[in-house]
This record gives sequence, C-alpha cells and structure tokens, in this order.
Amino acid sequence: MRAGGLDIGSRTVKFVVIEDGRTILARKALTSHDPLEAARTLIAGIQYDVIVATGYGRHLLKEHLDCPVISEIKAFALGAKAIHAPCRAILDIGGQDTKAICLNESGEMAKFEMNDKCAAGTGRFLEIMANALNYTLEEFSKAALSAEHAEKINSMCTVFAESEVISLTARGASRSDVALGIHKAIVSRSTALLKRIAPSGEVFFAGGVALNECIRALIAEDLNRPVVVPPDPQGVGAFGAALHAQKVGAATGGNNETVLR
Amino acid sequence: MSRTVEPLINDEYTGGPPTKRVLARLQEKRKAGMKIAGVYCGYAPTELILAMGIAPATLCAFSNATIEAAETVLPANLCPLIKSSYGFIITDTCPFYGLSDAVIGETTCDGKKKMFELITDLKPTWIMDLPQVPDQEEAVTNWAAMIRKLQRFLEATFGAHATDDAIEAAIRDINRRNAMMREVFEFPAGRPTVVGWQEIYNLTFLAQDSSGKEMESILAEALRKLEQRRDNGYAYRPADTPRVMVTGCPVGGDAEKVFRIIEEAGGVIVALDACSGFKPYMTDTAEGTGDPVRALAERYLKIPCSCMTPNARRLTEMTRLIEKFRPDAVIDIVLQACHSFNIESHKVGEHVGRYHGLPFLKIVTDFSLSDVEQVRTRVEALLESC
Amino acid sequence: MSDYTQMWSDLGLDLAGHDALLSVLGGAYQDIFLSQKNRPEGMKYFDFVMSEVHGLRIKELMDAKAQGRIVVGSYCVFVPEELILAVDGVSVGLCAGAEFNFEGAEEVVPRNLCPLIKSAFGFKRGLVCPYLEASDIVVGENTCDGKKKSYEVLGPMVKDLYIIDLPQMKSDSGRMLLKEEYRKFMTKLEEKSGRKITAEGLTKGIETVNAKRRAVKRLAELRKADPAPISGLDALLVNQVFFYDDPTRFTASVNALCDELEERVKKGEGVFPKGTPRVLMSGCPMAVPNWKVPFIIETSGAVIVGEESCVGERGTRWLTGDEGGGVAEMLEAITERYFKIDCAVFTPNPSRVDHVRDMFGRYNAGGVIHYSLQFCHPYIVESGPVEANLEGSGIPVLRLETDYSQEDSGQIKTRVEAFLERIQEK
Repeated sequence: MRAGGLDIGSRTVKFVVIEDGRTILARKALTSHDPLEAARTLIAGIQYDVIVATGYGRHLLKEHLDCPVISEIKAFALGAKAIHAPCRAILDIGGQDTKAICLNESGEMAKFEMNDKCAAGTGRFLEIMANALNYTLEEFSKAALSAEHAEKINSMCTVFAESEVISLTARGASRSDVALGIHKAIVSRSTALLKRIAPSGEVFFAGGVALNECIRALIAEDLNRPVVVPPDPQGVGAFGAALHAQKVGAATGGNNETVLR
Repeated sequence: MSRTVEPLINDEYTGGPPTKRVLARLQEKRKAGMKIAGVYCGYAPTELILAMGIAPATLCAFSNATIEAAETVLPANLCPLIKSSYGFIITDTCPFYGLSDAVIGETTCDGKKKMFELITDLKPTWIMDLPQVPDQEEAVTNWAAMIRKLQRFLEATFGAHATDDAIEAAIRDINRRNAMMREVFEFPAGRPTVVGWQEIYNLTFLAQDSSGKEMESILAEALRKLEQRRDNGYAYRPADTPRVMVTGCPVGGDAEKVFRIIEEAGGVIVALDACSGFKPYMTDTAEGTGDPVRALAERYLKIPCSCMTPNARRLTEMTRLIEKFRPDAVIDIVLQACHSFNIESHKVGEHVGRYHGLPFLKIVTDFSLSDVEQVRTRVEALLESC
Repeated sequence: MSDYTQMWSDLGLDLAGHDALLSVLGGAYQDIFLSQKNRPEGMKYFDFVMSEVHGLRIKELMDAKAQGRIVVGSYCVFVPEELILAVDGVSVGLCAGAEFNFEGAEEVVPRNLCPLIKSAFGFKRGLVCPYLEASDIVVGENTCDGKKKSYEVLGPMVKDLYIIDLPQMKSDSGRMLLKEEYRKFMTKLEEKSGRKITAEGLTKGIETVNAKRRAVKRLAELRKADPAPISGLDALLVNQVFFYDDPTRFTASVNALCDELEERVKKGEGVFPKGTPRVLMSGCPMAVPNWKVPFIIETSGAVIVGEESCVGERGTRWLTGDEGGGVAEMLEAITERYFKIDCAVFTPNPSRVDHVRDMFGRYNAGGVIHYSLQFCHPYIVESGPVEANLEGSGIPVLRLETDYSQEDSGQIKTRVEAFLERIQEK
C-alpha cells in the first residue's frame, strides 16, 4: 500500500509517498499564492492508495481533497519519532512559524508551543535579512559561520530588524558580523520556545531553517544537548502525514484513493 | 562630568552603577550580624524594619539580562521589572536576594501579586495586603493592622523586636532623612540645574534603604557641594536647555536608556517623579501622635502609586512638582504591560496639557535596546515642540 | 421582532451603529448556534431570548423603570444579585464580548488592554448598548488592574458609577472588607431605589438567585453523560443569559431544558457521537457575544463538558446560605458565599486548581483548555502553575491566550486540533 503525505506550508508544499514504511517519493515546490494549484501540480500523476494532508493549508483544500487531515504538530511528532526514535524534543523552524514539541516516554506528543503570531525568527526573517545584506541564503549562512564576532541585533521584528541591519552596515559594521548576529537572534528566540516545554533531552531539529548550517551549529551550542538533523528536514511533516496515512489505510483496508479536484 | 566639579558622592563606587555601593554596605551589615529583609516597593514600611534592627534591601531589578530565564515560566507580555526580578531569583544571580533572610511584598499590581506566589516557598515571605482605596476611612486602620502583622512576622522570623518608642524614633530619623533629601531636590529646581539625573538617582537609590543617621554625612556633604556649584555659577546644562520632568513607573538600570536618550536629544531632567526618584521622600510621617504605626499607615497611603484608585493625589502632586521644578515638558514612562500606569497616563496627559499647558509624551518601553531609535524620535519631536 | 426604534432612540442609542451591531450579532448567531445539529428543543427559549436581546428584554427593563424600580448593571460575579433583588431592582450583566468600536475605546484607554474592557468602552462610546444606557446604577469593582483603573475613565461617562472595593487576599480582614463593602452597597441601593432592604426582601432575593443557581447546576450535572446531551456552546449561552434574563422565567426555562436533557440521557442521545473527546474549559469569563473559542473547539471534533469560569461553575457553584435570620445574618451569609469565589485576582488562590481537577474527574473530561483573554495578567500568570500542577497529575492542558478578533482563528484551530490529537491518543 502506498501512503501519501501532503504538507501544505505557508512557503513550500511537500509531498512524500511511502510504501512499507520506506520513502519512495519525496517532492517539494513553492506554495506561491495558489496553494491548491501548487498541491495539484505536486501530486499530479503520482500513484497512492491513501493520502493525508497537513500544514497551514490543510483546511483550504477541504473541498477539493476529501482526505483525513492532521495538525502539522502531530505530523512532525510522528515523522520525527520514526526517523530518530530516541528524540524527546522537536524543534521545527519553518517558513513562517516555529514549533517546539515535547514527546512523552511512549513517543506521543505531550506538550507543544507554537510561535506563529509573527514571522520574526523564521525562514522568512532569514530571507529578508539575507536580502538586506545582499546575500543568497547559502552565502548568508557561510558568512555567518565565518564571522569571528557577532553584531548584536536588538529588534525581533522582521521589519525593524531590517532597518537595524541597514543602519549597522551603513555605520561600517562587517556584513558577516551582522549575519552572525541575525543567526544568533533567531537561535535564542527558538531555543527559548523549546526550553519552555522541553528543558532537557535530545533535540530533533527540522523544518526548512534546519538546512542552514550556521543555525544548526548555533542551536547545538546554545542548547548544549545532542541535536539531530534529518537528511530532509523540510519533509518531516509530509513524512509524518504519510505515516498516519499508512495507519489509516491499514485500518480502512487501503485503496481509498482520493482525487484532487 | 566636568573635571572642575566634584561628584556629590565621591567614593570607590563613583562612576559605576549605584547598586554596587548599596550592595557593599549591605554586605558590611551582614558581616556585622544584621538580618536583611528584601523589599520590593515603596510601600514597605522602612521605619518599622529599621526600628527592629533589620536592614531593608531593594529587590526590584532593572536588568534585561535575566528576563530570558524568567520567560521560561512567566509570560513574555509582562512588566520587565517583574520578569527581571523573578529571573534574578531563579538564576540565583541576585546578590540582594541572596543576602535576604526574608522577603516582604505587597499586593500592589496583579503582575507582582501573582509572581510572588511563585517565590513564597523559597524564603520566609510575607505579603502585605495593601488597600486599594486610600481615601476610605478604613484604609488607614487596615494598613496599620497590616504593618502590625508585618511586625509580628519579623518578630517570629528573626526574634527581632521594636517598641513603639523605637518606631517613633525611626520615624523621626527617616523624616530627617527625607527633609535632607528634599533640600537636595531644591537644586534641580533651580534654573539652570547644577546636577544631573545620574547623581540624583545615586542618592535616591542609596537613601531608600538607609536610615537618616546613615545618610546624614553623605547628604550634608552633597548639599555642601551643591551649594558650592551654585555659588560658582556652575550649570549642568545651559540655562535654556529644555527642562523635562519624568513621571510614571520606577526607572533604573537598563531602563535608564530613556534618561540617556532625553539628554542626548538635548533635554535636561529636573524632576524624577517615581518611586525610584523623589516619591519616597516627599511626605513626612506625623511625629509624637502616640500611635506611630497608625501614623506610618497614614503617611504610606499618601504615596500616589497608580495601583491606588482613584489616585487623585497623582495629579495634585504633579501640579505641585510642576510649579516647583518648572519643566518645559513632561514624559510619562510606562513599563510595558503595566496596565495601571498605562491607563492612568491618559488623565495625566490631559491634566498636564489642560492645567499647565505643557507638552506631554507617554513612552511605553521595556529594558531591551530594541526600541531605542523609536523612543529617540519621539523624544526629539517632543523637545522640538518646547 | 417588533419595531423598537423609538425605545432605542429614547435611550439615546446611535441607531445606525446599533443596527450594525445587531446584524453582526444575528449573523454570528446563525452561523454558530443555529447551524448546530440535534439541539435540544428547550434551547428554543434561549434562541428567542437572544433574538430579543435588545428588544423585548429592554422593554421589560423600561417597564420596570416606569414602575419605579431601578435597573442595576454590573460587570462581575462579585456583585450580589440578592441585594439588588431585595430593593425590587433588576440586575443585568453588561455585555462586553464583542470587538466593536475599539477605535473609540482606544481613544481613552490603551490599546494593549483586555478586550473585555475595551468592548465595554466600545459599547459605551458607540452608544450601542441599551442595557448600559438603561442602567440607573453601573456597578464597577476593584478586581484586576485593568478594570480598577478603567472605571476611573468610565465614571464620567455614565449616569451613576458605583465602585465596590474587593479584598485581594482571602483573610479575615479580607472577609471583613467585603462585608463592609456589601453593607455600603446596600445603602446605595436603598438610596437609589427609595426602598428599604428588609429581612423579607432579602429572603426572597436569596431564594430567587439560589433557584437560578440550582437550575444551572442541574444542567451542569447532566453534561456528565456520554454522549453529552447538550453542546458546550449551548450550555455557555445558558450561562451567559443567566446574567440578564428575568430570573424566575430563566429558572423555569432551564429546568424545562433539564427535563428534556434527562430524557436524552436515559435514551443515550447526544449532540455528538459517544466517545467524542471531552474538554473542560477553565479561565477567564466569556461575556456575551464571545463564542469564538468554544465554536472552534466544537467544530474541531470535541465537546465542551464544563466551564471553570465566572460565566460557568466558578460563578454559580455556591448557594447562599438560607438559614434566614435578620438582615445582618443574611448579609453575613451573602458575604460568606461570595467570598468563596476563586478568581485569579486573589493571592494566593489555591482552591482554583483543586476545583479544576475536581471538575475534570466529575465530568469525565479528557483534557483541560485554559482560556485567558489577552493582557489578563492574573489568569495568564496563574495559568503557568495551574498547568504544571494539572499536567503533574496526568491531566493534559492546552493554554490559549486570545482576544475577540478573528485574526488568529486559524492558529487557535491548529493548537486545538493538535491538543485533541494528543488526548485521543490516550
């Protein structure tokens, strides 16, 4: 049985298909202004027996894709646990929100905290700051890693931080020092969220921002605990949704292929 | 600070944060075997505490550094002073709290009230039930009863005692202290002022937990130097510098960024109308009444904190201060999430505008540096309108 | 509904603003309440009350005033209805549950303030609440900082604002203060109404309010069943109407509803399937027409089986002692009763978490959703220890902090769904 998981995020849509617990397909695309179209394109022509949707756009698709939905929190918890069984704490920094999830001994979701009231400290924040400093995202991370000293960024607000960055460089601060300051600001904000609900234990770090090497290094340093990053950090939610789809499929006898109208 | 002018307090702590000086004195008291009671607020009856031979130590904290730790337990949307204090306690980095043998709190604002619940188990703690309507007849009686209860708590905790005569003596001593402090405040009332906010704040911070006796020589010295400055024609800032009165929440430590911004924007602060400034020294306790605790209760309930309702005294005091210090503008500093001062600010602004025709600015801020430029812009605009 | 334009105009309402408010209210009611499935027949009375909320009920108030009775509006469960009834007055809870004219409110109170307070000001400055305009006395109380200081601003805007001071600690002196405040309130009521409070009047008042309380307690009991015979939304509505409907008629209607629910329970009939996740709400009160969060919860696959809130069990659980005696004894009984309310403005407030735990067991809940209004320091700070305490005993808790706007509905829904996923896994 092929089980599909569709994670419709605010910035990217991810689709994963698993068979017998193994990933046989993983794709992603930009959500753009039309999540329905993006999702449709992504799953077009792919064979699956059951599909589960998750993410910010899961309800938007309700009329067009009549399938079970789970919250992205549960999806991440399922995915993380399957990829790295010993993890008890999950940190997901995505395009527009940050989530911290604490698992109990049985690996079930216990507590969670989300920060989605504003995009400060998320992937979007990184993008805007990189742009303000005239870097691509890859260059941004490398520059931050190369800096010896960080320029302290005081504003948490994306808009005000951008002004702050510009005024810092205008005053002669080095771009890489500012880059490191930005990365540190994101990390302290995210780890604060995590520490509220999971003060100890191994951390599974995923979400788009986990692709950033500098962030990964700083998170490990800040938390002083083992931090595990999966090979495909962005796909964890879709993977978890696919796992749930597998369970649903097994319970209902499989083969309730749903069509994205 | 000009080289030709001697600092009002000239010791090894001059030029540094006022907390260091206070801490050193507290450590000496501890060495001498004195008991120390941590206090949070201007309503804690210093006279009683001193009369019992106990040293008060201010626990209200103004550091941004400990807020992150506090936010793992307290909501982020809470007064920075409360978060900072709590953060110091849970990270075990507050030397004043470390030295305290007991903690005294009051039911002032909601934030503090609920925060105290989180620390009562850590040290012997006594929360005083502060009346909210000081104009009511029963308020003085009730607060007097609370002061007596505090007395019994301190007796039980420390085996300390104070007769009513001792309390009376402490009243006179503190009245003397306050009178001298008010003499000091005459100087920023002058035009031009011969002293800046930093030196005033050094004195108010030191004096608030000190007896009159302890402050006598320091204040006498400070007054001598202030007179000398005035006689020598010294001006802290040129005479035509816009004069600013700050009012509102207690300000110290990292919150001093606002004071610095005011000076950088070309203003001079001549009056500090807050519990961290002039307020604790402006009222005297009646002497020789035969009921010193009742006299204390009456005096303390006159403090115009916004936790009181309807707090008409805030406006009458403000008028008195404006007439004395003749500011060109009034800035109301409200700490983030402080509902009491924030709501009250509206009527303060109206009063300042309607009765005194002065430009008014409310600033809502915290201890971080993230809003420095926004505050600067507003202050500059205010001073331009002077 | 009849044409009440003249009545509203006489009350000084802004007719255009008022019409706007009513149409929004009507639309919301349709979407939230009338769209529910399998509602008890007994809810038709409450639908009617809501459809006439600014009509018939106001006419009743105006008729009462014409007979020389006073209308007393209030914002808090600490205001003793018994005393108001004892002067043959009409007690009305003043609504503050809608984001209406916040621009007007924010001209006089800060933006960063509890939406309940801003709503009260929005209604006042917008002149759209007939209850407010019809009140002969508006009673405020020194509960939280926000309210305490806001009443200073409200005072000049209403005919007669009367403030009841409340204790902040549950001590002997606190109890004495409350009693003294209630005694002063009695004097105020007597002066305003021109009637003296007698033992007979107080007895009747206590009887009437206790009967109301018994009725809603009976309703609460019936929600123990699985499947729940009534939705949380409908039960909340009943608890909201508690504050401003005619007490005797209300009591009869709730009892009739309960009779019907008893039949449902016998037959195992409910509004959601058996086994639907059961949620207990705890925290700040939801003033009418604030239905936002319960609506999200009950359209996400759960049923709310109880409310530990002032518009709910915290406000109604205690009965006033009815041993009788003279006015002095009854004042004592009334003080005793109200003194027990465990609002978060009290410090310390240990009985609250015990009550939540008790309700969790009694109503066979699967989880607790702690609800605070944005900027409410007492409940938000208290929610930390409450959550830790409950989680420590194995009770799942979700903390929500929100206002009246629809902006964060998506985020709330995500959190609620994740929480329900968690409690269903058990």
